[in-house]
Amino acid sequence: MRTASLESQTEAENSSILRLEHVSKTYGDFTAVNDVSLSIPKGSIYGFLGPNGAGKTTTIRMILEIVRPSAGSISILGHASALDVRNRIGYLPEEKGLYKKMKVWALIQYFAMLKGMNKKAAKQQAWHLLEKYGLKDFAEAKVESLSKGMGQKVQVLSAVAHEPELVILDEPFSGLDPVNQSVLEELITDMASNGQTVIFSTHVMQHAERLCDHILLIAKGRKIFDGTVSQAKATIPRRVILESIDDVQRLSTIAGVADITKLDADGASATNAPQWQIHISEKLNPQDILRSCFELNISLSRFEFTEPSLHDVFVHLVGDEAREHAFR
Amino acid sequence: MNMIRLIAWREYMENVKTKGFWAGILIFPIIFTAMYFLQTTLSNATPTRYYVFIDQSGEYSQAVETAIEREHQRRIFGEFVDYLLENRKEVDLDLSAAGQNNAADQLIDSADADEVAALEQWLANGGLDFALTMATPALREDREPFELPPRQFIAAGLPADIDASAAPEEIARALRPYLRGERKLIVDSEAIDLFALILIPANVNEDISRPGVMPQTGVGPTGIQYWARNLTDSRLPDAIINSINLEIRNREYIGLGVDNQIVRNVQRTRMPISQLDPSAAEGEEEVSMADTFRQLAPIGFVYLMFISLMQSVQYLLSNTIEEKSNRIIEVLLASVTAGELMMGKLLGIGMSGLTTIAVWLLSFFLFITLYQSSQTELIGQILEVILGSELIPWFVFYYFAGYALYSGVFLAIGSLCNTLKEAQAMMMPMILIQVIPLAMMVFVVRDPDNTIVRALSWFPLFTPYLMMNRAAADPPLIDVVGTTVLLLLSIVFVIWLSGKVFRMGVLRTGQPPKLMELLRLLRQGS
Repeated sequence: MRTASLESQTEAENSSILRLEHVSKTYGDFTAVNDVSLSIPKGSIYGFLGPNGAGKTTTIRMILEIVRPSAGSISILGHASALDVRNRIGYLPEEKGLYKKMKVWALIQYFAMLKGMNKKAAKQQAWHLLEKYGLKDFAEAKVESLSKGMGQKVQVLSAVAHEPELVILDEPFSGLDPVNQSVLEELITDMASNGQTVIFSTHVMQHAERLCDHILLIAKGRKIFDGTVSQAKATIPRRVILESIDDVQRLSTIAGVADITKLDADGASATNAPQWQIHISEKLNPQDILRSCFELNISLSRFEFTEPSLHDVFVHLVGDEAREHAFR
Repeated sequence: MNMIRLIAWREYMENVKTKGFWAGILIFPIIFTAMYFLQTTLSNATPTRYYVFIDQSGEYSQAVETAIEREHQRRIFGEFVDYLLENRKEVDLDLSAAGQNNAADQLIDSADADEVAALEQWLANGGLDFALTMATPALREDREPFELPPRQFIAAGLPADIDASAAPEEIARALRPYLRGERKLIVDSEAIDLFALILIPANVNEDISRPGVMPQTGVGPTGIQYWARNLTDSRLPDAIINSINLEIRNREYIGLGVDNQIVRNVQRTRMPISQLDPSAAEGEEEVSMADTFRQLAPIGFVYLMFISLMQSVQYLLSNTIEEKSNRIIEVLLASVTAGELMMGKLLGIGMSGLTTIAVWLLSFFLFITLYQSSQTELIGQILEVILGSELIPWFVFYYFAGYALYSGVFLAIGSLCNTLKEAQAMMMPMILIQVIPLAMMVFVVRDPDNTIVRALSWFPLFTPYLMMNRAAADPPLIDVVGTTVLLLLSIVFVIWLSGKVFRMGVLRTGQPPKLMELLRLLRQGS
């Protein structure tokens, strides 16, 4: 009986380490998070993306049961409350802060011990991490003597020192220089390859694009998109830009070409040839269009195909919302 | 439980490791010691006062001289007793034990028992020289020689250009510049300030007032004239006027044909009074000095409690606000429950408070052991009585209860505020509340079962202070049990409530909530 329940639990965790169902949070009249559902598979790197004030932090706080949802239910590591499994979770909050008077290694040790590690193992782990991520020289320094970026690295290490199954990092990249940003990216991929699940929030798309398997896009408390990165990109129609003096409309017979439109020539082109935009479906390889052009004897002065970036997706999906926020 | 211990330990270690903590603790004994020595040195450092004494009546100069000499001898005597205490061979704190077999101890004992009689005997025996000879065998070999205290009052001669037999007004006028400090007197070819002029006019006896006789109301000063700019140092005029009154009363007796010696003997007869305590066991009712201390001790305990609680609460507040303002609290709450965090903090800071008290007691103890004199000996005895009394368990109980109650409240305040400034505004009423039992301290010891005191004891915020205050007087059982139950219940309530406020408050940002808003938030739950 016991084995059976354990098995089913493991199974549930395998398929989904974290599940939110219709979760909302209101503060008085203000709705911070509105009916968000999501499911995060084990071992993935999951990005919470959204403009400032979208509800990322509130969602994370609800996941950690620091605040309780006004509605909906959360299942984390197979439990109803993060409090039951908090030793298996690592958390870096959005606003960074540490005990200023403590020594760096002692601080990491302390937070690891709060997560149930024993004193000796926690100390070893602290020194190991500091060495691995280039902070060994500062191990004996007091936290107040560190620069902001360095302090943030220390805080990240203190959040993950106990090797949690689920790591939640709220805006881990903000305030780090490019070198340390890549160190942090390295840390995140290390953890993922170690079988740990990483959730992080950011509004810098490049990180998400490089790291994430899955992303959640929210704006104004609502879920806008939830899925893999390639699915996200698919929400923006793929397009090929052509420049040709020939009749490009003939290409519309190719399966997978949605539409062909002539772009307004603003004199940007040196050749003064008309420019065409061709929307193509996901399945169509842009190479096919190029090949067809040869076959149909369409001479090209320009052929351009770029995958949409996550940035484009973001702007496409939440552009209006983000702008609105920016001017508030 | 493990987490609570971990949090408490960090909280404690971080406190104990800071210099500020030790500075805060040690400042108290340092100031205490400094004050003690300052007082002793100041009283020794009072400069010698020079006075001019003119007795135109020619009747009182002898009496005044005797009085001033006697005052000086009293000082020598006092200092000599201190000297003996510092330098005798065996240090025996228990004075009542059989340690009276040497002259030094006898002298110390007699000084303790009846100073006036002891001084009489000292003078009759020939003063310092005799005492020094007698005490020498009982003193350590490596002692420093006894230093004679300087005379505090020395009579100076009149300047040559002033006639001692001139009219009082003229003498006063001529001496005014000296008394004002504008001119210096020359004594032993040294220029000195004249402190006072004592002038006894020739016809001073006409001004003696007697019962039933209306005093003459003349123009100008009557009786002895004491001229001095310093009005606060009254030792000189007191000594003089007492000695002269003694003298004229003696003369009255002689005039009435009464034997002087008989009068003196009669004046020294007295009835002893035994204070008896009905609550003590039969045969032990006699109230000793220790019993009196014991009854006064609660004042000390209440005071200690207040200072220590205030200090702890300060740490608690600033600590919580630090964690809140740099958002460590969020990480902590993702690791432990708000309840564990709160209990850990309460315990950790509580340990800091206990450390403070321990250090204070230790330094106090060191002070009285290392520095021995008649005063510290007395303090030592008091301390012994207090530490040996059954007040200690009371103190421990009320200290912890008071700490739990007040820190619960202050922790809740800390969790609602983002800066120390905000917190201070909210702390104010809580501090003022504690001032009430503190202001009543002395009154409560005198009248511990007063109806108002009894009623106020039932108010939980007052209970630790007032019941500690009343502890030595064996308060009625109903008060003890009733207030304790109420106190414990309110501790549970306060901790529960502040746990709720804490949980809700720590993640709050922005202005602290108004009271009504707070109540609404609490009703909604977190």
